[in-house]
Amino acid sequence: MSPNLLRFVQRWRGVALMSVVVVATIWLAVTNQLILYIHPRYVVFTVIMAVVALVFVASSAFLREPHDHDAPPTRRQNAVSGAAAVLSLAIAVGLIVVPPATLTSATLEQRAINDGGLTGDQGQSVEAVASTTDAAFASFTVLDWSSLLRQTTELSVFSDKPVDVVGFVSADPDDPENMFFVSRFIITCCAVDAQPVGVPVYAPDWADDVAVDQWVRVTGGFDTNPSSASDQAVVVVPDAVEVVDQPGEPYLY
Amino acid sequence: MSSQLEDRRRDRDRSPGHDHPPDYSRARRRQFTWLAVGIVGITALFVVRAITAESSALALPDKAQDFLTLSISVIVESMPFVILGIVLSIAVQVWVPDSWIMRVLPRNPFLRRAAISFIGVFLPVCECGNVPLARGLMVKGFTVSESMTFLLAAPIINPITIITTHQAFGWDDGILVGRIVGGFVIANLIGWLFSRHPHQDSLLTEKFARECRVPDAHAHGTTRWQESVALFRRESSVILPALFIGAVAAGAIQSFVPRSVLVSLGSNPLWSILAMMLLAFVISVCSNVDAFFILPFASTFMPGSIVSFLVFGPIIDIKMLALLRTTFTVKTLVQLTVVVALLSALIGLVVNYVA
Repeated sequence: MSPNLLRFVQRWRGVALMSVVVVATIWLAVTNQLILYIHPRYVVFTVIMAVVALVFVASSAFLREPHDHDAPPTRRQNAVSGAAAVLSLAIAVGLIVVPPATLTSATLEQRAINDGGLTGDQGQSVEAVASTTDAAFASFTVLDWSSLLRQTTELSVFSDKPVDVVGFVSADPDDPENMFFVSRFIITCCAVDAQPVGVPVYAPDWADDVAVDQWVRVTGGFDTNPSSASDQAVVVVPDAVEVVDQPGEPYLY
Repeated sequence: MSSQLEDRRRDRDRSPGHDHPPDYSRARRRQFTWLAVGIVGITALFVVRAITAESSALALPDKAQDFLTLSISVIVESMPFVILGIVLSIAVQVWVPDSWIMRVLPRNPFLRRAAISFIGVFLPVCECGNVPLARGLMVKGFTVSESMTFLLAAPIINPITIITTHQAFGWDDGILVGRIVGGFVIANLIGWLFSRHPHQDSLLTEKFARECRVPDAHAHGTTRWQESVALFRRESSVILPALFIGAVAAGAIQSFVPRSVLVSLGSNPLWSILAMMLLAFVISVCSNVDAFFILPFASTFMPGSIVSFLVFGPIIDIKMLALLRTTFTVKTLVQLTVVVALLSALIGLVVNYVA
C-alpha cells in the first residue's frame, strides 16, 4: 500500500466502521429486527447513541481539522493494523450484506438445552400454577413449560393441561429419531448470553415432516415418555405439529 | 504538515489546469464536497442494506451464521456505550476547564485514588465506554496508575451495576457486598502497585504516550468544535477496530467451545472459581448486566465463584483486553491480568469459606 493510502485508511477507518455499525443499527431498529441482537430494553438507548454518532460522522466529513498529529506508523504496526483492518472489514461487510438472522440449533447444541437454569421471575412455579385455568395454560410459552418441567416431573402437575407452543425444532440428543424439542432462546442482555430452553415432544419419525431449525406450532398434552432412550420423564404427545413462520420476536425474556 | 501538502497535490491532480481561487472559498468548497461524500456514503450503506436484506442467496451456513450473529451482537450491544464513552471523553478533554477535575480531587495519592474509584458513580458508563474516557482523563493529567484505578473501579462501583446486582442477588451470601468491596480493593491495590513503577510512560503504548505529550491544540487556532470532531475521528479509529477484534474473538469462542465444558467443572471451591473466571473472560458481557447473566448459575456454583465472576469479568475479558491494548503495552496487560485474576480468586475463596 502506498503511504498516502495507508494514512488515509488509518485516519478514516474508525469513522467508516462507525458509519457501518450505525447504519446497520438504525436500519435494524426501523425494521424491528434490533431485538435479534439485543434485549428490547436497550433499543431506545442504542438508537439515541447511534443518532449521536451519525451527527459526529457527518461533522467529521464537514469539519476536517487542518492538520493532525498522527505519527506515521511503524512497519510492525502496519502489519498488525492490516490484519485488524481485514478482519474488521469482513465483519463490516457481514453487518451490511448478510441478512439478519436468529441464532440456530448450532448454538443450541453448543449450550445444552434446559441446562442454564432460570431466575426467580422467569417462567412459572409449581405452586403458582395449581390454580391456573386451562385458557391460561394454553397461552403458556416454551419458557413457562420448561421452567415447570425443571421443577418437577410429576405427571399429575401436567396431565390434562392443554399445550399450545411455538418454537424451532431441535433434535433430542438421546433419542433423535423419536423425539425433538420445541425450542426457544432466552436473552438477558444480548444474543451472546442466549440460553436455550425447550419442551420435549415425542413424535416417532418426526424428521419426515419437519426439519431441524424449522419453526413449528405444537398442540397436544403431556404424558409419560414412551421412549426408553431419553432422559425426559414427561413429554408432549402432540395432536398436531404445523409449520409456521418465524415469529417477530424469536427470543423470550 | 506533509498531509496538507499531499492534499493540495492531490487536488491539483484531480482538476488539472484550474486557476487557484482564494484559499478561503476553496476550503469551503472542499468542506461541502466532503460532507456530500459522507452523506452519499451513508445513504449508499442504507440502500445496500435494504436491498440485501431479503436475499436468501447471501445467507450463511448455520455455524457461520451464528458466529456472525454473536459477533454482531457484541458489537451492537457495546456500541452505544463506546459512543457515550467517546462523547464523555471529548467533554472532559475539550469542554471541561483544565484545572477543574484536578482541583476537586484530594492531593494525597491514596485518598486521590480512593476518590477516583467513585467517579463511576457520576459517569455510569459500561466498561467498554470507560476505555476512551480513561484515555481522555490521562491526556488531561491523570497518572497512568490513577487511570487504571478508574478503569477497574468504575464498571463495578456505579449505580446501574449495583442496582442490577442487587436485583439479581439481593443481600444473599454476601455476593453484592463482596463485589463492591472486592472491586474497590482491587482497583486501589492495582493503582498503588502501578504507581510504584518508576517510568509511568513505559506502561503505555508509544503511540498513546506521544498523544499525551502533545500540547493543547487550542494553540493552533482550531475551534473547540473542530477539536471535538477530530477527537471523535481519532478515538473511533483506535477503539473500533479493537472492539471488532474483541467481538470476533468472543463470538468465535462462543460458537466453537461448548459451554458445558465450563459448567461441568462443578462445585469444587477452587475449580468452580477458576471455571467462573474463565467463563467471565470468554463471555465478555457488560458489567451492567452480568449479574443477570450469571444468576441462573447461582444454584450450581458456590457464592464465592459468583463473586469472582462479578469482580473479574468487568475488568478483564477478551473484549476488554483488545480495547485496553490500544492504550497499554502487552507487558502491562499481562501483569494486570495476572494480579487481578489472583486477587479475584482470593476474594472468591474468602467468600466461599466464610459464607
